[in-house]
Amino acid sequence: MQKETLDLRLGDLLKRHFGYSSFRPGQWEIIERILRGENVLGLMATGGGKSVTYQLPALYLPGTAVVVSPLISLMTDQVQQLRGKRKIPAAYINSTMEPAETRERLFEISRGAYKLIYVSPEKLQNSAVQKALVRAGVSMLAIDEAHCISQWGHDFRTDYLRLPQVVQSLGSPPVLAVTATATPGVKAEICDLFDIKQENVITQPLNRENIAIDVILAESEADRRQMVKKSIDELQGPGIVYCSTRQTVELLVAEYQLSGKKSVHGYHGGMSSMERMVVQTQFLRGELDAIIATNAFGMGIDKSDIRFVLHYHFPPSLEAYAQEIGRVGRDGKAGYAGLYYVPEDRLIHTHLQEKEYPTTEQALRFLQGLSQAGTKPISELAMHDIPEEMAALLFFYAELAGIVSDVAAGREEYRYELSDASQMGNLAEKASQMIEAMEKPKWLKRQKLLEMLRWLEGNECYRMRLNRYFGELDHTSSAACCSHCGLDRSAYLDKSGSRTERTGKNAWNLRKALEKLLPNKKGGSIF
Amino acid sequence: MSSSTLHDREWAFIRSLTITGMLPLAGERTVQALYYILRGRKANQTLQDVHLYSLYPYYRMFPRLLKEDWEKIVYKLQEESLLIPMQRAESGRKPSFVLTEKALQIASESEREYNFSYWFEPFTAADIAEQIDLFWLRLHLIVQTVSHLLEGDLSFQPIVQEKRTQRWVKECLADKERRARWTEGLAQELFCSMSPLSESVQEMIFQRFSGVSQSGLTLSQLSLRKREAPAYIHMQIRCGLARMIRTIQDNRAEFPLLSALLKNEGGKDPRLTESASLTYVLAKQGSSIEQIANRRGIKPGTVEDHLVEIALRCPEWDGSRYLSAELAEEIVKISERLGTSRLRLIKDQLGPGVSYLQIRLALARKKGGEEDAKRDA
Repeated sequence: MQKETLDLRLGDLLKRHFGYSSFRPGQWEIIERILRGENVLGLMATGGGKSVTYQLPALYLPGTAVVVSPLISLMTDQVQQLRGKRKIPAAYINSTMEPAETRERLFEISRGAYKLIYVSPEKLQNSAVQKALVRAGVSMLAIDEAHCISQWGHDFRTDYLRLPQVVQSLGSPPVLAVTATATPGVKAEICDLFDIKQENVITQPLNRENIAIDVILAESEADRRQMVKKSIDELQGPGIVYCSTRQTVELLVAEYQLSGKKSVHGYHGGMSSMERMVVQTQFLRGELDAIIATNAFGMGIDKSDIRFVLHYHFPPSLEAYAQEIGRVGRDGKAGYAGLYYVPEDRLIHTHLQEKEYPTTEQALRFLQGLSQAGTKPISELAMHDIPEEMAALLFFYAELAGIVSDVAAGREEYRYELSDASQMGNLAEKASQMIEAMEKPKWLKRQKLLEMLRWLEGNECYRMRLNRYFGELDHTSSAACCSHCGLDRSAYLDKSGSRTERTGKNAWNLRKALEKLLPNKKGGSIF
Repeated sequence: MSSSTLHDREWAFIRSLTITGMLPLAGERTVQALYYILRGRKANQTLQDVHLYSLYPYYRMFPRLLKEDWEKIVYKLQEESLLIPMQRAESGRKPSFVLTEKALQIASESEREYNFSYWFEPFTAADIAEQIDLFWLRLHLIVQTVSHLLEGDLSFQPIVQEKRTQRWVKECLADKERRARWTEGLAQELFCSMSPLSESVQEMIFQRFSGVSQSGLTLSQLSLRKREAPAYIHMQIRCGLARMIRTIQDNRAEFPLLSALLKNEGGKDPRLTESASLTYVLAKQGSSIEQIANRRGIKPGTVEDHLVEIALRCPEWDGSRYLSAELAEEIVKISERLGTSRLRLIKDQLGPGVSYLQIRLALARKKGGEEDAKRDA
């Protein structure tokens, strides 16, 4: 097809399904290569329009596009968005589905009912899933969060490493690996695994020129808390305040609510999923000035007018930092990222990193608790004195050590096959083997933390050094650069002085309240 | 009034609540027993405790309560000289605890303070906890969905992420005709089922709903607005939902839509844990414990646990194959005479011919029967 006609067709699809009139930097370059059948690595900044790079080709190409995503919540969000606003037939397959539902969906897939299928890496290993996809004809394979294949390998399943094989079983469709954060080393690894040529690595500029980077040294915990509370009061919202622990979130929220002027809410993994969704909804609807959160908040949040991100604690890596401040100002308007640096906070991170991994004793107790039956209720782990959050990690390393195979995580339990090896060698030996295998990722995390500290302590432009870490030389800024180069904090203050309005208090009337929530469109009273 | 008093109020409420719940457990069970009850653990020991000591309102009141938070509560109770752990335990048992005079004082004042007997009234069986969970998830999602349906905008983020609930709502609204029934009738049924509640509770439940016109409030937001302890509000809402469930159950004909929220899917017995309900199916077919264990690939001990659960919750079950009516009566008598439900003490009186399973079944049966009588009255 002529380039002009292709331009027109794609532009039309972009407008019709996504509502955009032009591509953002990098998008066109990626899409055009995929349509030519090339394997591509797309390095897209958070909020840079990553999903368009596979959703658009999916629409254009005949057959069904497959998107591999490690996060079930992202999967469901995107599918919902595609089916709702974007009117694109999409569906997902993951471990939360019942067998009957999966069978039905596979049948629909095989008859080509969908343009896009989101699938967890683990489900993509399943031969029935592969068969259905092959029957539909796979137009392309997109791998979201592609850095998972190396950087945080242990956070996810071994299945990510098996993806290159899967590509072949699916008839070697073009592969698009996308990620927001990749250091040069990770980039090279991805290119190697998926056979991506250098000219097909498309880097969207990481530099976010509208975000001012501020690092503020705080004398003490009390000093910092005072400053953060003041900032929440004064800064132009909406914003996010990141803390490293749930306790800090709760403490800061409680304290802020005593004297603060703005409406804020806490958000962390200890809250029920309903509460978290309510808070998120309020934030998206502009009903909250700030969310005080752990890093559990933010993934998949599509809000373009976030004006500030504050870091109460510094994050454990520059990757995390770039991702978190990247949520500011996606609308292109000026935004502010303020980090309150208390050097002692490194202890929080070393402690958290220690706690994340099991001790040899825990690993042993875990192995002893595995049974021939091949299921393990997550709730049972507590009885072996193992935190539930550790389950995924333990199963991953048990699989790596050849003790279990075919691990599948359900909502309440893990299913697995106990291998013969589990009966041979003694378990204590296996346990220390597992612990040994954890040394490398642990070491990596310590290095990341050191990089973060080096960045905080460094005495050169923060923006330049952040970008350089990711291999980017550009460090221009459109508003202000950083606190090293000088910035005017007053530019980011809330000038209106107004706060998010809360609904006024009326006398309670159940009938009226229900009529407002569930209005009768046919006119007249519903009663 | 400042929020620091809100913090104090939360503790005052939690203190009264835990002491009241610990009253029957003192000297009998460990201090952890109430924790398992509040978390809603499905283990048999916990369910048995709930029945034996009639702690239904407490069951699953805080399913997300962390062990460390519970330990903080216990620590504070000790610090305020309300609870004293017993140093030594009788052979083979974990040490229990005693409540001090001061604690008993608080317990007797708590009724006036918090009106527990009013809030606890609808909680007459352990299964109400699970019903509330199911009912609330479905209610919340159907309200949100219908609200958006009425606006003709279905691209919204469901607050309830639970897959089973989402499937259930989808099924409810699968075709035009059903959609019409829900969009036209939901508000009216909500009005009828909520109006018997106190205005304050009506408002709390209503404000938690999400829809086009409101995002819904979190518990802590409700607490800030009402200036009441979050846990106290949580308890009132639970009670409100329990009352709604009772109202709907008693007048199913008047609530054709909302009564669907109570039904359970897949033919599983809602009174039992999932695994126990599978055992029940086999037990009804007359299989022995060993046969059930073999067929299901579980341990015979687990099957026994299931049978006790069934005896507790399913009065129609004929358990005579495991326990004759005469023996059951004898066990109950001994238990009453000794004034204890402790298996070992009872077994010592009966000799080796009687199994622990039989004693547990007898006690469970007795308890289950009392519950039915209470409900029928």
